[in-house]
Amino acid sequence: MSENKTAKPIVEMRHISKAFGPVQALKDINLTLGEGEILGLVGDNSAGKSTLMKVMTGAYQRDSGDVLVSGKPTHFKNPHESREEGIEMIYQDFALCGNMDIAQNIFLGRWPKKGLFVDRNRMYAEADQVLKRLKVDVNSVFQKVESLSGGRQQSVAIARAISFNPRVVVLDEPTANLSVMATERLLETMAELKRQGVAQIIISHRLTDIFEVGDRIMVMKRGQNVGDRYIQHTTEQEVLELIVSGTPETALTADQALAGRAA
Amino acid sequence: MTSTTLAPARRRLPLELIGGWEVGLLIFMVLLYIAGVFINPKFFGQTDAISAILRDTARYGVMAAGMTFVIINKDLDLSVGSTFGLVATVFSLAFSTSYYDLGIVPSLAAAIIVGLGVGLLNGFFVTVLRVPSFITTLTMLFIGRGFVLGLTGGKTVSYSEKALTAPWFFQIGETNALGFNNQILIFALVTIVGMFVLAKTRWGYETYATGGNELAATYAGIPTRRVRMRAYVLSALAATLAGLMSVAQDKGITSQYGQGAELIVIAAVIVGGASILGGRGRLLGGALGAILVTLIDKVLREGIPMTRTVKVGDVEMQVQGMAQLPPGAVPAFLGLILLISVLIEPWIIRRNVFPRLWARLRGRPLPPIIEMGGVAIEGAQTKGSSASDRSMRARGPIGHFLARRDAAAIILAVVLWCAGLYLRPDFWGSLDNTFNLMLSFTEVGLLSIGMTYVIANGDIDLSVGSVLALSAATCAFLMKQMGFDPWQAVFIALIAGAAAGVVNALLTVSFGLPAFVATLGMFYMARGIGAWLTAGRQLSSFPEAFNLLGRKLIDALAYFGVSPAKGTLLYDIAAALSVQTIFMVIVAILAGIVLAKTPFGQMVYATGGNRRAADYAGISTARVRAISLVFSALCAAFAGVIYVAFLRSFNPSAGQLRELDAIAAVIIGGGSIFGGYGTVLGALAGAAVIALIRALLSLQLILGNGQSFVMPQHWVNVFIGLILVIAVVGDIWFRQGDLAGSVRRRFSRKSGPARETAHV
Ligand SMILES: Nc1ncnc2c1ncn2[C@@H]1O[C@H](COP(=O)(O)OP(=O)(O)O)[C@@H](O)[C@H]1O
Ligand SMILES: [Mg+2]
Repeated sequence: MSENKTAKPIVEMRHISKAFGPVQALKDINLTLGEGEILGLVGDNSAGKSTLMKVMTGAYQRDSGDVLVSGKPTHFKNPHESREEGIEMIYQDFALCGNMDIAQNIFLGRWPKKGLFVDRNRMYAEADQVLKRLKVDVNSVFQKVESLSGGRQQSVAIARAISFNPRVVVLDEPTANLSVMATERLLETMAELKRQGVAQIIISHRLTDIFEVGDRIMVMKRGQNVGDRYIQHTTEQEVLELIVSGTPETALTADQALAGRAA
Repeated sequence: MTSTTLAPARRRLPLELIGGWEVGLLIFMVLLYIAGVFINPKFFGQTDAISAILRDTARYGVMAAGMTFVIINKDLDLSVGSTFGLVATVFSLAFSTSYYDLGIVPSLAAAIIVGLGVGLLNGFFVTVLRVPSFITTLTMLFIGRGFVLGLTGGKTVSYSEKALTAPWFFQIGETNALGFNNQILIFALVTIVGMFVLAKTRWGYETYATGGNELAATYAGIPTRRVRMRAYVLSALAATLAGLMSVAQDKGITSQYGQGAELIVIAAVIVGGASILGGRGRLLGGALGAILVTLIDKVLREGIPMTRTVKVGDVEMQVQGMAQLPPGAVPAFLGLILLISVLIEPWIIRRNVFPRLWARLRGRPLPPIIEMGGVAIEGAQTKGSSASDRSMRARGPIGHFLARRDAAAIILAVVLWCAGLYLRPDFWGSLDNTFNLMLSFTEVGLLSIGMTYVIANGDIDLSVGSVLALSAATCAFLMKQMGFDPWQAVFIALIAGAAAGVVNALLTVSFGLPAFVATLGMFYMARGIGAWLTAGRQLSSFPEAFNLLGRKLIDALAYFGVSPAKGTLLYDIAAALSVQTIFMVIVAILAGIVLAKTPFGQMVYATGGNRRAADYAGISTARVRAISLVFSALCAAFAGVIYVAFLRSFNPSAGQLRELDAIAAVIIGGGSIFGGYGTVLGALAGAAVIALIRALLSLQLILGNGQSFVMPQHWVNVFIGLILVIAVVGDIWFRQGDLAGSVRRRFSRKSGPARETAHV
C-alpha cells in the first residue's frame, strides 16, 4: 500500500515518555497513524502498548512529548476530551456495564431524554439501528450484557464506539478471548469500518489477525519502538524476530525499511 | 506480569518508612502520656499507671495480632468484640455454679470450641461462599451480641469463690512475682510469636502475597482461600484468648462484655501502619497501635480533675470534681481515630508526604508521588458473566414476574403475612396489629429506600442506624434543652443527618476509602455524638404539633378537626395508616421514579455495574455516589425525626441494628451486595419481609399446654442476622451465579453441545 506514504497522518505522537514511579513504561517513542489506515501494535506483555494508547486518549498524562491530531497539538486531560476529537478506545475489558441491557450500554451516559425521563422507546429503536448498521446479530437489545458471550460483548462495545462516529478507533487486545468465529466477525467489522474511512489501531498478540486486516505493523519493546513495517512488505517471521530481538536500531520507519529492502 | 513489576516498587518505599512509623508511634505515645500526666496527674502520675495501661492493652493487643493477619489479607473481622464476649460468656456459664457448674477444663474446652467455630464460620462464609467480609463479620457481630444477651439474659455472672479451685487458670489475671500482670506476658509472647510467623515463615509470605494481589498469588500456587480462612481462625482464637484473659481477671462477666472492642482493635492495627487495602501491616506496629489506642481511650475516659466554684447561699465553695466526657464521646472519638488512621496509608504513606517534606527541608529534589493511575487501571467490575438473562427466557405474565429480581421478596412477604394470619387469626388482621406492622415497616422502608441507591451504586452504608440516632438526638435535644420550636428542630436534625452523609461521601468519594470503612467510622461516630448530645439521658414530652409526625392519620385529622365518622371505611384506613407511612410512601414513589425512569437512575446502575465504564462514558460517578450516600443519610435522618415523634421520647439505643434490617431488605428485594442491582419496589418488599419476620417472631404464641410464649428481642436479632446472611448468599449463588442453572447444565452437558461461555 504505497499510497500510505503520502497519506497525511491523522494522529502523530512524537517523543512520548511516561514513567509510573520507577517503571519507565514509555521511552521517547513515536507513532503515526494515517487516515483510514489500520495499524497493528504488537509486543511482549508490559511493552507499553496499552500505556501508549492511553496516553493518546488522555487516560494517562504523558511526562513529555507531543500528541498531534490532524496536525494540531493536543493536551487531552481525560478520554472525554479525545472523544470530542473523534478518538475512541475500546478497553481490554470491554468497558460495558454487565448489569444493564444492550441498548442502555450503547447509550451509556447519553441516554435519550424525554422531559425529565429516559426516552426508552427511542433508546431501544436507535440501538437496534446501530446494531443493524454494524450487522451485529444479537437476539434483542433488551438482553443484559453480562449474559452475552465474550464475542457479542465485544461487538456491543464496538457498536457503542462507532455510534459516536469516530475518526480513530483503538482496539486493545480485542481478540484475546474470542472464539474463531467471533474473531472473523470482528475482523470483518474492522474492514467495514476501514471502508467507511475510519483509521484504526489494533493491539493483538495474534499476528495472523493483524496480517489479515492491517496495513502497517509497529513492534514495541520495553517502551520503545523497535520496528515499523508495511504488512505487504513483511512476513510474520520478520515481525516475530523483531518482537524477540528487536532494538531501537532496527526501528526505522516503515518507509525506510521498505527503501532498505529495495536497495 | 503487571503485578510482578509493580509489587516491589510499591513495597520498597513504605517498608523503609514503616520502621520509622513505629518509632513515630513510640514518640507520639510518650508525648500523649506526658499530656496525660499534665491533664490528670492523679491517674497518670502513679507509678503503676503504665502497668495498668499495659494490662488493659494486653487483651486488645492479643486481638490485634489476630486482626493483623486478617487485614493484611485485605479482609476485615468486625466480630472480634462479639467473639470475645461470647467466649467469655460460654466459659462463665459453663463454669459458674449457678449454671452448668463444670470443671475448669471442660469449661475452657467449650469456650475454645466456640471461638474456633466462629473463626471457621467467618472463614467459610468469606472464602467459600464469597460473602464480602464486612457483611459476614458484621452479621456475626450482631449474632454474637444476641447470643451473649440471650444466654446471660442480660444478667451479670460471677464466680470469685469457685475461682479459687482453679488457681492455675485464674493466675493469668494476677500480678506475678516480677511485679507485673501475667496478661502483659501473654501479650508480649503473642506479639513475638506473631512477628516471627509473619516475618519469617511461609504463613507470613502467603499472607502478604494474598493481600497484595490475590489473583497473582493464586497463579503462583498459593492457596489463598486457605490463607484467608487461616487468618479468620487466628483472629477468632486471639479473641478467644483475650476473652479468657479477661474472665481470669474479672472472675465474672457482664452482658456488655467486649462491646465495641472491634473498633479499638481495628484502629490499633491500622494506626500501627497496616493498610485497609491489604498487603501491608506488621505485628509490632499493631501492638504499639493497641497501646496507643488504649492510652487514648484511657485519657478520654479518665476525665480531668477540676475545681469548681459552687455558691451556696452567699458562701462560695471550692468543690473537687472530675470533668468527664459524657458517654458517647469516647466511641465518637474512637470512630474519628479509626477514620483518620485509615486515611494515613493512602494519603501520607503512599503519597510520600514525610520523605517529600524532609527532602524539601534539605533542599533536595522531591521523591515522586507514586502514581496510582486513574480510573483506567481499576479492574473490570462486570460480574456474574455466567448469569443467563432469565427475563429473556421468561414466558407469559407469570414467567415474567418470576424472572424479576424482586419476585422472591414479594412472594415471601405475602406468604409471611398469611403465616401470621394462620398463627394468630384472632389478632393478626386487626387494626392494631396492622398499624404496628405498618409502623415498623415504615422505619425499615425509609432506611432501605436510601440504602437501595447506595447499594445499587456498589457502595454500602453501615451508618444508617447511627445517623437515625444522631438526628433523633439532635431533634430531641434542640426542642427539649434549647427550646427550639419543632420545625426548626426538625430542619436542623435533617441537616445534621445530611452532614453525616456528606462526611461519608467525602471519605468514600474524595478520599477513596472503601464505603464500608468510611461508614463504619460514622457508625460509631454518629451514635456517639447522639449519645453525647443527650448525655445518655432519655428525653421526652415534646410539643403535640411535633408528635403529630408520628401519629395515626386519624389523630392528625382530629387535630385539624376533619376526622371522618367512626365505623366508615375511611375511618378504618385513617386509623391503620400513620402520617409517617404516608410520608414514606411519598418518598418511595419519588425515589422509585427517579431510580427507574430518569437518567440519574441509569447513572446509579451504570456506576454500580462498572464504575470504570461509567466514568469513561462521561458519567460523574463521584457525584452519583456522593448524592446517593447523602440521600441515604437524609432518609435515615427523616426516620430519626419520625422515631422521636412516634415514641415521644428519645432513647440512645434508637435505630440500633437498623443497618442490618435495611441492608437485608435491599438484598432480599433484589439488590446485589456487589452493586448494579436493586429497585425501590424490591427494597420495600424486602422491608415488608423484615417487618413481618420481626412481627412474627415477637408474636405471643399460645402453646399447646396453654402457656404463652414470646421470643425475646435479642433472639429475634440473631434471627435477622441469619436472614441477612442467607439473603446475601442466596443472591450471590442463585441470582448472580445462577447455581441452579449451572447444576442443570452440568447434568445436561453429556447430551448437549458445549455452550459458548463468556470470559470477563
Ligand atoms: N497505572 C499504572 N501504574 C503503574 N504502572 C503501570 C500502570 N499502567 C501500566 N503500568 C506499567 O507500565 C508497563 C507497561 O504496561 P502496559 O502498557 O499495560 O503494557 P502492555 O499493554 O504492552 O502489555 C508495565 O510495566 C506496567 O506494569
Ligand atoms: Mg495491555
